[in-house]
Amino acid sequence: MQGTAIVIKTLGIALQYGLLLLLLYFVYKLMKFMKKDSQHVVEDIYAVTEISNVEAVLTVLEAADQSMVGQRFAFSNHISIGRGNDNDIVLNDSFASHHHAEIALLNNLYVIEDMGSVNKTYVNNEPITGRQYLQSGDLISVGSATFEFGR
Amino acid sequence: MKTKSLLLVAVDFLIMFAGLGIIMLNQYPNIDYSPMPWALGAAVMGIVIQLFLVKGRYSSDIWVFPMVLFFSSLGIIMLARLKPILCVPQLRWLMIGMVVMLGVLYFSRQLKNMMQYQYILGICTLVVLCLSLLFGVEIGGSKNWLVLGPISVQPSEFGKILLVLFLAAFLSDHGEMLNAAKRKFLFLDLPPIRFIAPLLVIWGIAILMFVVQRDLGSALLFFCMAVFMTYMGTGSKSYVFIAMLFFGLGAAVSYAFFSHVQVRFNIWLDPWADPAGQAYQVVQSLFAFAAGGVWGTGFTHGHPGLIPEVHTDFIFSAVAEELGLLGCTVIMMVYVMLFYRGIMIAMNCKKELHTLVAAGFSIALFTQAFIIIAGVTKFLPLTGITLPFISYGGSSMVSGFIMIGLLLSLSKKEKVHGA
Repeated sequence: MQGTAIVIKTLGIALQYGLLLLLLYFVYKLMKFMKKDSQHVVEDIYAVTEISNVEAVLTVLEAADQSMVGQRFAFSNHISIGRGNDNDIVLNDSFASHHHAEIALLNNLYVIEDMGSVNKTYVNNEPITGRQYLQSGDLISVGSATFEFGR
Repeated sequence: MKTKSLLLVAVDFLIMFAGLGIIMLNQYPNIDYSPMPWALGAAVMGIVIQLFLVKGRYSSDIWVFPMVLFFSSLGIIMLARLKPILCVPQLRWLMIGMVVMLGVLYFSRQLKNMMQYQYILGICTLVVLCLSLLFGVEIGGSKNWLVLGPISVQPSEFGKILLVLFLAAFLSDHGEMLNAAKRKFLFLDLPPIRFIAPLLVIWGIAILMFVVQRDLGSALLFFCMAVFMTYMGTGSKSYVFIAMLFFGLGAAVSYAFFSHVQVRFNIWLDPWADPAGQAYQVVQSLFAFAAGGVWGTGFTHGHPGLIPEVHTDFIFSAVAEELGLLGCTVIMMVYVMLFYRGIMIAMNCKKELHTLVAAGFSIALFTQAFIIIAGVTKFLPLTGITLPFISYGGSSMVSGFIMIGLLLSLSKKEKVHGA
């Protein structure tokens, strides 16, 4: 009888302290995991994405907003880039204009056009004037963002 | 990373079983095993749901759910200790809540479509709040309960969700208008009255109803939510000033006309004027905090039973007494992290409407926790309201899980399609 009483007492004390430690352990782990999780890991930059019915893809190589890096935007006829919310690709970047650039299909080739931006649109580090044809592998710079054009 | 979130869920349930274990050892030799099957059921359900969330079909957030389970398991062990008779019902509500959350996730697409009908949502908010005014039954001093056969519901808990949805839809639709056409008045930018009128009507009626129903906590919560959301939607500080003016006016008027408001305010100023009478609850709560100290008296070793309503509004004082400053800090930190996570979800949303909804829910939960924690520590005048997920209460639990379900469904990244 005395034995069980001692066992229950010690078990009780162990659980009491265990409860407090578990509370602390939970917060510690939660903070650690969430901190790790908020550091964005670019894992899908070369991932194979399904491209069906679309003929061109823009891959984000660099962007002011780190969470955009690695994203792929697939389109077939037309895509617009800029800071305004009505664009297809919305850049949260103070160097980009509201309607910065547009890419459109013209005679089976893709054409990029600058929409009168302040900081210009660059293709392979050359500022473009008027319209310009794009080839697969071209690097497009809009503001501080860089896209790779692929077909 | 994803499987590690399961560890957190496991720790949640270890906390629950450690707490229940302590209580059972105290009962030796007449151990009451009745909560055990329910607790095991809840644990299995929690782990299955987390496994489902990790798959990321309906949601991409895996950290919110373990935090919610952390609160619920703490709530359950506190209830098992304070009111053993309510432990099994609370476990049952937890399981119902999890099922409701899954339902919300499953129908998330339809619900997201429904979010844009602003005026219908506004009218629904008013109807839900009016229900308790017309058919309300008085339980525990405020007339905000609906009795539907065997269960009683607190409509204001669900009105909260509707209010967030209405404000988000209204503000995302009219945000530009509210900002564009402004008139200067002193240092404030006032929008034309016809743009802001629906907003004012909803605020005013919601708050009036609560003052009449003596549910001051909900009134304060609704007001804070409305102010925060208007500020987020428009980004204009003028609204905050207008709201403060309104609040000051409302507070002064209700102090002059309603005796229960006066009582609450006077208790806050000086609880020691009548420590055995009107201020008994607050004073006992302060004693509980003092008795707890840094490490607490130890689970089941305090006397939180002396505080009236300790299992609902004052559960935080019971935690403070038995788990001490440590337990309190942990709870508050997890609330802060839940808020942080909610805001992260909001910032990642593509549409303004979704951003406002997600931020609104995070703010609703966080403000609610703040108001009651501030109330029981006498930081603000006490206004009765539940501590989200910890206090006993079916309506509060279910409405909390509906919010979490919507928040989780908004975290799902939408696929970018070709133009």
